[in-house]
Order: sequence, then structure tokens, then C-alpha cells
Amino acid sequence: MTDLFFVKWILALSPILTVLVLMIFRNWSGSRAGAAGWFVALITATFAFGAHPILIAHSQAKGALLSLNVLYIIWAALLLYNVVNETGAIKAIGIGIQRFSGDKSIQILIFGWIFASFLQGVAGYGVPIAVVAPLLVGLGFSPVVAVAVPAIGHSWSVTFGSMGASFQALMAVSGLGAPDLAPWSATLLGITTFLCGICAVHVYGGWKMTKHSALAILVIGTAMAGTQYILAVSGMWTLGGFGASLVGLCSGLLVAKLKIYNQVPPSQTQSEMGLGWALSAYFILIVIVSSGVMIPPVEAFLGQINLTLVFPEIISMKGWVTQAGKGKAINIFGHGGALLLYATIIGFLIYRSKGFYQSHALKKIVQKTIKSGVPTSLGIVSMVCFAMIMDHCQMITILAEGISRVFGSIYPLVSPWIGLLGAFMTGSNTNSNVVFGVLQQETAQLAGLSAGLILAAQTTGGALGSMIAPAKILVGCSTVGLSGKEGPVLKATLQYGLIITGVVGMITMLFSYIS
Amino acid sequence: MDSLLKKHGNTLKTTALILMLAIPFLLYAAALHGSILQVKLLIAIFIVNMLFVMKNG
Repeated sequence: MTDLFFVKWILALSPILTVLVLMIFRNWSGSRAGAAGWFVALITATFAFGAHPILIAHSQAKGALLSLNVLYIIWAALLLYNVVNETGAIKAIGIGIQRFSGDKSIQILIFGWIFASFLQGVAGYGVPIAVVAPLLVGLGFSPVVAVAVPAIGHSWSVTFGSMGASFQALMAVSGLGAPDLAPWSATLLGITTFLCGICAVHVYGGWKMTKHSALAILVIGTAMAGTQYILAVSGMWTLGGFGASLVGLCSGLLVAKLKIYNQVPPSQTQSEMGLGWALSAYFILIVIVSSGVMIPPVEAFLGQINLTLVFPEIISMKGWVTQAGKGKAINIFGHGGALLLYATIIGFLIYRSKGFYQSHALKKIVQKTIKSGVPTSLGIVSMVCFAMIMDHCQMITILAEGISRVFGSIYPLVSPWIGLLGAFMTGSNTNSNVVFGVLQQETAQLAGLSAGLILAAQTTGGALGSMIAPAKILVGCSTVGLSGKEGPVLKATLQYGLIITGVVGMITMLFSYIS
Repeated sequence: MDSLLKKHGNTLKTTALILMLAIPFLLYAAALHGSILQVKLLIAIFIVNMLFVMKNG
């Protein structure tokens, strides 16, 4: 790299570096750090990369369109979760699972690996750790293990969980469709399914327990990874994490009946709500999403209204050209978020008709949704907006060119680490994909690599970042009385996170040779 | 000021989010009409909003 290029590269990196430093070393939230990153991007773009007011205006409009696409899913997923949780259904699901096995390794797998992934499939945003950790403490696990196990166990399902919000973000920023991204993403995430299961058991019982649960991990892992792959490549990626964990739940309950996992008698605790009623909103969701994606007339009917904006060609004062074209369209009635909303409304009406809600339930649901949705949304919008400024001023291309020059042909080894870094700093796979998606794509193109594979490694790294993201660890620790003592949990999850990411990097490298 | 932020923190954050999502579309409309003054004014409001998020988000 020449000196001038190096200076430009550092300047281009400065907004991302700002977010990193503020979140890791100053403990800022994602929304505050994102806003700070936006300021740095605005200043750097204006004074060093030729941004002007019209460029800023159009880039921010594109950012708002992209954000709305992601926020539609996030808010609907949070609303559905709160509609279900307010009835006590999540607790009932936990009790229902507990009645199947008294074996500690099976309990860890069912709660920390499968049930946490199921919660990621329907809610995400720290909910899996927050819900599962207290349940594991109740089963007699230490608080550190209780937080570390679901943190590690659910990571594989993050990209296709939350109705595929992270995958949606990856498609939105890269401009690539599901057919280009889903096969590689589902393959890499499928491999991490097994690794997360192994590590979740290992963190509690070491190699002895891992060996004991090997058969269960193999059977359940194959069921979950296979289902996720099939759903993702057949266009139902919104159901990828959810469907996979549901199949995993069924196979886990079957495996729990095997003689080797039945030495200890299971719990006899009963819940007020049956497992069928507790899961009813999610069954409705499966029917609605399947109909919306698999039945062409329904898909066509719902997809009639698309909102988008047409953008003119934009040229920065340094001569960088952003081509004219449409922004990311929002399919008002056929969007993943819309399908979630339909399921939420029907689920709410059913639960209400059965008398599962206490008084003022609707008010509580709305309040809880707003309380958790606003900070997450502020972080996402600010980060998307600064990523768009960078994109319109050549900053991302310069970053990609620098990385490509340094790493060249071994870039696939590095790509999941970038995703991991993004999720670590922002606490979100979605944000990681937004901030680094275009960078990874452009670097892959410059290095002559498959953009689909590199973006899959990006989102896999981003998903794995969930187990080490301080934002998520903090949420989990707060539910088991470990507030202020997050260090041991982070230490436990960090070693597993780094090992799995290293393995994913090597596999990506191998795949890059094959493809 | 701090007590005001504490009391109305959630409402202010929600308002900040709405502004964050609405202003870019106003910016788009102003930019398409070539009104530089409006664009600059809206960017200034956006900056103030981001400052609020950076401080209280």
C-alpha cells in the first residue's frame, strides 16, 4: 500500500473503528455508538471523500428504506414474542420440555441448544439467553454455565432466526438474492450447528459428557442443519431457524427417550397451559408463512403493493459514481414482517378468546415491545445510515481494496472473523451484515472469489458473534443475578466462539478452492 | 434537564427514532427538487437528532 492509500484506508475505517472502540472499551450501547459512527462517517466523507448535501440526502433516504425493511421484521417478531410470552406460554414450553428427560446432557441440549434456537427463531435480540438462563439455573446449573450454554447453543440459528432478519439485511445491502446466498449460508451455518451443540455440552461437562451426548448431537444436529438447509434453499428462509429448531425439538424429544439418556427420572412439574396451546401461535405462523411463500396466487396477491424510491445517479466531489436505480422495495403485505403480523393478530385473538390474558394485557404487550424495540431500532438505523454514507463516497470500496491487497488469496480465512467482529461490536448479526456486507462483497469481487461464499462466511461469523457480544451477555447475566460479574461468562463463551470461527474460516477457505 | 430526560426518556427516544426514519424521506424530496437550502436545513435537524441519540440512545 502507498502512504496516501494507507491514510485514505485509515480514514475510511474510522467510523467502524469509532463504533468498535466506543462499544468495547467505553461500554456504549449500540445506538449511541452507531450515532457516533454516523458523525465520524459524515465528517470524514465530507472533508476527505467529497460528500455533498445532495449525496448525503440520497444516501440517507436509501438507508431509511433499508432500515424499514429490517425493522418491519424486528418489530413484528418482538410483538409476536410478547403476545405469546404474556400468556405464560414460553414458561409452559420450558416446563413441557423438562418433563421429557432427567439427563443433564439432554437438558443442556434441549434447553441450551434447541429451545434457545427456537426462541431465536421466533424472537432473537437476546431473548434466547434471557429466557433459557433462568430455566437452567432452576434445573440446578451454575449461573455462569446457565448463561454460557444458551449463548453458545443458539448462535447457529441467528442468521435465519428472527424470521430471517439478518439474512434479509444481507440481501438488502449486497443486492444479491436468496438463490445466491442461501445455499452457502445454510451450509456453513449447518456445520456450526454441530459445533455449537458440542461446545454447549463441553462448557458444562467437558469431553466426558460430550462423548456421552455424541449420538444425540449427531441425530438432532443433522435434523436441524438439514431442515435449515431445505427451508433456506427452497425460498422459505424466513422460517429457516424456526423450522429447524422445531424439527430439532421433535427429534430431541425422541432422542431423550433412548435408554442411554434415561438413567435419571424426568421432572413431573405441570404447567397451567398445555404444550399445544403454548405453541399454537407458532403453528399459525408456520401455516401463514408457508402459504405466503409456497402458494403462488397467495404470494402474488400479497405482493401487489411495493413501496420504493427511484434514485438518480450521484457523483461525489471526488468523482465516485453511484449508479441511478431503485432503492430496496418494501412489499407491504407480503413482507416477512407482514406475515409475522398476521400470525401475531390471529394468535392474540385465539389466546384472548381462551382467556389466557390478564387485564390490560394488550397495553403491557405494546409497552414491552416498544421498550425493547426502540433502542435496537436506533442502533440499526444509525448504523445503516452511516454504512450508506460510506458506500456513496467510495469508503467501503477503499476498505475492501486494502484488505484484498493485504490478504489476497487467503481472504476466505479472514471473512468470518470480520462478521464476528461486527456482531461483537454491535451485538447483532443484522448490524454486522449491514456494516460489513458490502465491504465483504467488494473484497470478494476484487480477489476473484465467490461473493455468495464470502457473504455466507460473513453472516456465519456474525451469527457466532452473538455468543460473545457483550450486549447479549449482559442481558443473560441480568436474569440470573450475575449483573456486574459478566467476565467469567464472556471468558467461557469467547474461547468457544474463537475456535468455531477459526474452523469456519478454514472451511470457507476449503470451499473457495472447490468453488 | 436530566430529570426531564429521565421522566420522558422513552418518549424522546421513540420520537428520535420516528425522526430518524422520516427526515431521510424529506431529504430525498428536497434533493429531487434541487432545494439546497431545504436539504441543508434538514441535514442540520438530522444532526441534532443524531446528537440526541449519541447522548441518550
